[in-house]
Amino acid sequence: MGSPRLAIARRELGSLRKEKTIVLALAIQLFVAAFSSFLVVGLVSLYDPGAASYQVDVAVTGDEEAVEDLLRAVGTEDGLSGRPYSSTSAAMTAFQERQVDAVLAASTGEDGRIRVAAVAPDTGVETTAVVTRLRDALRELERNERAERSAFLATDPLSLPPAADSSPYFGFTYTVLVPLLLFLPVFISGSLVVDSLTEEVARGTLELLRVAPVSFAAVVDGKLLAAGGLAPVQAVAWMLLLQLNGSTIESVPWLFGMVAGLSAVVVTLGAAVAITSPDRRVAQLLYSIGVLLVFAGTSLLPLSPANTAARLALGTAGVGAKVAVAGLVFVGVVALVGLRFVVDRVDPNELG
Amino acid sequence: MTDLRTRLVAHARTVLRIARWEVSRSAGTLDRRTAVIGLVAVLVAGGIAAGAAGGGVALDRDLYRVGIAGDSPYYDAVDQSSTLDPRPVSDPNVELVVSETHISVADTQTGRAAYSAFRDAVQSYNERQMAREENQSAAFPVVVDLQYRERAALVPAGSRVDGGAGGSGDAGTGGGGGTDAGTGSGTTDGDTAGDSAADGPDASDAAAADDGGVDAPSFGGMASLFGGDTSGSPASISPPFPFASLVLAFAFLVPMNFVIQAYGSSILNERINRRGELLLVAPISPGDIVAGKTLPYLLGTVAITIAIAAAVGGGVVSVAAVVPIGLLFLASTFVGAMFARSFKELTFVTVTVSVFLTTYTFVPAIFTNVTPIALISPLTLVVRDLAGESIPLGEFLFSVGPILLAAGVLFLLGVGVYREEDMFTQRPVPLKFLDALDSRISRARSVATLSALSIPFVFIAELLAIAVLFVLPVDLTVPMILLAVAVIEELAKSLHVLAAFEKARFSRTLRSSLVLGGLSGLGFFVGEKFTAIAQLAGLQSLTLGQTAFAPSGVGIGDGTGVSALVVLGLFLAPLALHAVTASVTAFGASRGRSAYGVALAGAIAIHLVYNLQVVSALG
Repeated sequence: MGSPRLAIARRELGSLRKEKTIVLALAIQLFVAAFSSFLVVGLVSLYDPGAASYQVDVAVTGDEEAVEDLLRAVGTEDGLSGRPYSSTSAAMTAFQERQVDAVLAASTGEDGRIRVAAVAPDTGVETTAVVTRLRDALRELERNERAERSAFLATDPLSLPPAADSSPYFGFTYTVLVPLLLFLPVFISGSLVVDSLTEEVARGTLELLRVAPVSFAAVVDGKLLAAGGLAPVQAVAWMLLLQLNGSTIESVPWLFGMVAGLSAVVVTLGAAVAITSPDRRVAQLLYSIGVLLVFAGTSLLPLSPANTAARLALGTAGVGAKVAVAGLVFVGVVALVGLRFVVDRVDPNELG
Repeated sequence: MTDLRTRLVAHARTVLRIARWEVSRSAGTLDRRTAVIGLVAVLVAGGIAAGAAGGGVALDRDLYRVGIAGDSPYYDAVDQSSTLDPRPVSDPNVELVVSETHISVADTQTGRAAYSAFRDAVQSYNERQMAREENQSAAFPVVVDLQYRERAALVPAGSRVDGGAGGSGDAGTGGGGGTDAGTGSGTTDGDTAGDSAADGPDASDAAAADDGGVDAPSFGGMASLFGGDTSGSPASISPPFPFASLVLAFAFLVPMNFVIQAYGSSILNERINRRGELLLVAPISPGDIVAGKTLPYLLGTVAITIAIAAAVGGGVVSVAAVVPIGLLFLASTFVGAMFARSFKELTFVTVTVSVFLTTYTFVPAIFTNVTPIALISPLTLVVRDLAGESIPLGEFLFSVGPILLAAGVLFLLGVGVYREEDMFTQRPVPLKFLDALDSRISRARSVATLSALSIPFVFIAELLAIAVLFVLPVDLTVPMILLAVAVIEELAKSLHVLAAFEKARFSRTLRSSLVLGGLSGLGFFVGEKFTAIAQLAGLQSLTLGQTAFAPSGVGIGDGTGVSALVVLGLFLAPLALHAVTASVTAFGASRGRSAYGVALAGAIAIHLVYNLQVVSALG
């Protein structure tokens, strides 16, 4: 027990190091994380008014009373300033001459509603900044008007607490980036096991086991250990990196346990698929579908892995999340034991 | 003439025969049991995915804990929000406590984020409450009609103002194509019918748009797809964002990842235990073998693409834009499988290829409405095609051209190493890459050809750099772009020269390095002139586009009042630059790899200085 497995695990890791593929793997994960962050930072700065410091001037015109209300609502919004214009055509002219960035023309409808015709420029980045700010101002107007009409309402709307500064990237870091960095290594680990086993079959090197003092079970164990051990280590490394980058990551030991449990399940899946159909094409396809099944299936559970990871990292997880992690580790152990049971009954020379 | 035809027919026959053989052999590896298992797994996974999409997988479920009494007026708002988890006030482990008089927030980032989420939850709760009111005109006292207007550069006062802007719009009759944002509940059943793929059933509900999972844009449904004008309550207006089209465009990419898995395995299989040797000794050219082995996978990709296009309502343009992406997926996988030493390495190569190409094609498409840079990805064309826009031929070529060329060059490189000494040996990937470059060099002239062929990759790499950097402020990006351009172009001009020297194809003399450098520069210069295509897409209107392409001399000569001699000088200046820097690197390459490194750094420095000069002179 022990030493042949470790030797095989070392050999597996050695081949990864020699081929420098592990570097490539880390680069891929970094690329994915960087690109998704870039994506969100880019998107947020394009679509979130608070993220960009951009002053929007609005021409306000229309009924006298409505204009007053509109100007007040526009005034409460940061980065938005209103200017009254006497007529719609004057406002539109100012818009065309780029004196203002948007036009709000208000009129009172037959049913007493305020009708606002908003005109925004059709120019990509600017449009998004203008429209999101107009929306916030108009919602403010809506709230004020609603309060005036509260006599006609069955329920009073709740008063809205004042806006506060909060990083728009905060939620993204925990709900997307953390699960991504935790689970991507797991997926790659399982794929590694499939490759490693199907390659032995394809090259016919398992034949050598007949004369070697190693059992097939030990070979599989070694491969599982090497591939499955990599994922939790990488996961913890990513979490520490995020920590360095200023995002507080709580409950790292629990996250480690979670990735270890999931990784046990996924490498077992990989090994099982590779033993059942040793041709790489079929095996990789089945493995991908299987992983999809595992992730899609668990996402339906009340404590889905991605959500649990986010809450653990955020430090807002309750007892339930920790029980879920323990359960996942248990399932992983059961899967490994079950696999052992199967492997003991397989003759490696009949594979392929 | 007839000779050519018979030869072509013979080639086609060989290719078809190998393709048939590839199909039958692949079918042989798939026994009935695995096929059934696979099919069942696909069905279950599909069912779960559909269920998950329908039931709404909330990544941010119960993210923040709120201490709140059960009789608080805010309790329902907290309880109905998926992000917030209501707890009794006595619970000490909460981020936020809502009492009757005030709200106390933990003084941490998490606390502030929880407060933001709470505010959003209250806002959308109010919207939902109001939607249930009987007196709708009191519940939604403001109706907004949003219109997008283009502004000309400068317009004489008084003109351009027409009716329609004067608030004549009715709620529910938005001017935009087929949008119907009813008051409060923006039920958008646009012609794309893809809202089940959006994040949850509430995605199209304007009231709930506020508590979207990620704090990124709130996808207010498709009402405002492509800047179509909208009308409704203030909550329902949102910036134009082609969310549904993007999800559908992504559907085109997913199957490609499976196709390249199988394709890469098939190519690498030939290389294991010298299996492909039999085919190699047959009187067939490597090109035919590769074409035959690729054909089934290419046809599969085309078939899948057509099927998806039919399903999501894409037209001919969608198919024509996606198939080149598929070809590039196959081409890079082919090269990867030719270089990889083991299945494990192949897996990493395949993952790299799919990650890189997916981001390269998908990310720019997100900015479809925002900037012309989005056109570097053919998926942008798909997004626009799905929205029913027509696409000018110039833009189509700009988008698809580099991708097609790159795929062709990759296949050419891969076929070059489809020979015994490379297929059945274990060499590190970088050496194999040099081998592949060298296999295309037979005489000094080929150096120029290879330089010219590197242009599509240079183009893609530079556009990618622009796409990544364009979010940053212009002051910062311009020097960074120039540096990136210098690095990319110098590498493209010198790597194959290094390969040729390493393989001792030319004598390591000063004269030969000058000749090779000059030729490499010339080839690159000629190829670079084709980047004039960039002008067709109007990329030059962007500051960054000008920065990246101005040094290549594109677009020079339309300035008025410049003498012909200066124009000629400016036209030929890039040629001199490329020849000089390429000669520097060639000289380094002739002295070995470490000398090459030093020379490359020098060449990059020269190039950077030149670029900075040109940009400041033209700017």
